[in-house]
Amino acid sequence: MSLTDKKTKIVIFCLLTLLGVVLFVYGVGFHSTNILPQQKDDLTILTASEPALIKEVSIGGVTRDTSGELRRTYTGQPPKFCPT
Amino acid sequence: MVAMVKKTKLNNLARRASGGLAAKLLPWRMWIQTAFLLVWLDPLGLRLHTMCGPVFHCYACPLATFACPIGVIAQFTAIGIFPFVTVGFLVALGALFGSAFCGWVCPFGLLQDLAAKVPTPKFRLPKWIGHLRYVVLIGTVLAVPYFFGESHPLFICRVCPAGALEKAVPDMVQQAFAGRQIAWPNALKLTILVLFLVAIFFVKRPWCRLLCPLGAIFSLFNRISAFFMRFDSDKCTHCLQCHKFCEYDIEPEKNPNDLRCIRCLECTRCNFDALNFASTFEHPYSKSNETNNR
Repeated sequence: MSLTDKKTKIVIFCLLTLLGVVLFVYGVGFHSTNILPQQKDDLTILTASEPALIKEVSIGGVTRDTSGELRRTYTGQPPKFCPT
Repeated sequence: MVAMVKKTKLNNLARRASGGLAAKLLPWRMWIQTAFLLVWLDPLGLRLHTMCGPVFHCYACPLATFACPIGVIAQFTAIGIFPFVTVGFLVALGALFGSAFCGWVCPFGLLQDLAAKVPTPKFRLPKWIGHLRYVVLIGTVLAVPYFFGESHPLFICRVCPAGALEKAVPDMVQQAFAGRQIAWPNALKLTILVLFLVAIFFVKRPWCRLLCPLGAIFSLFNRISAFFMRFDSDKCTHCLQCHKFCEYDIEPEKNPNDLRCIRCLECTRCNFDALNFASTFEHPYSKSNETNNR
């Protein structure tokens, strides 16, 4: 591998790693989403960080309803496992 | 005869001693894969499902430490949210190791490697068939969830054999033993599972080669990752043994970092000097770097 190739590879690696870290940190630290409860008459809005949302989707706990809002699929105790 | 065996053993030892990283790692691959089961199978019951693992392991499985990145990407796509954490995690790891996760730590890959040890006739697949993985990635992980949501029958989790094997089948067995009505998964999921269970005995790593969307993502980094396969044309004897060792029908001397490569390092058994696992960060004037990487 020539030095120029090597430099290019290092630059690409650093840029990709930086991109990955930036996306990861933004997702963990700053990205959050509002979720409505299952009952439509309940007006409480829950704010979930992305890691919390990952846990919710892993049990099939969130869906986008017909009005385009994110809504929980359960009330009370969350399901143990993803239904799919 | 004894002297010849001793000489061969000594030669092998000498080759391994001078063979660099690949020679040191290769004999331990299956042990490393098995050891990583302790990470993925959640022996401590942590269920850290707020984070993804870098492997194909269904989060519906009661023995899953982390969430499945493919499941998370598909579910996020279905609800119309960009999965920053998962994509960032996969990009950073892919940039570092490429597809090495498939060959060294994935539990689904280990299952297929173990099944491949059963002495049955093994069939070779055409090279183009590896591109199906990208169709699965774009189709069932991105397009179907985005346009039709998670209830569509072609949504990845509804057809995934890992989910069927790790959750649906154990559930069905449990229901049968308890005398309850069996909740069958959909017909497509069952068909794919049965085909998969048959195929693993006759084709090496059929899921990884044909359909795995996570492997498809990691493969995109193979040519640019910091750890890569290095080929030294000066030390190659052109015996083409590496073609025979490669389970993916790659021609390592032409393209050592092929998109289909899972970095199992089997090809390096031919000649550790000609083919080896290398890093971009090695010193430019070190002995191991006086090579010609393609």
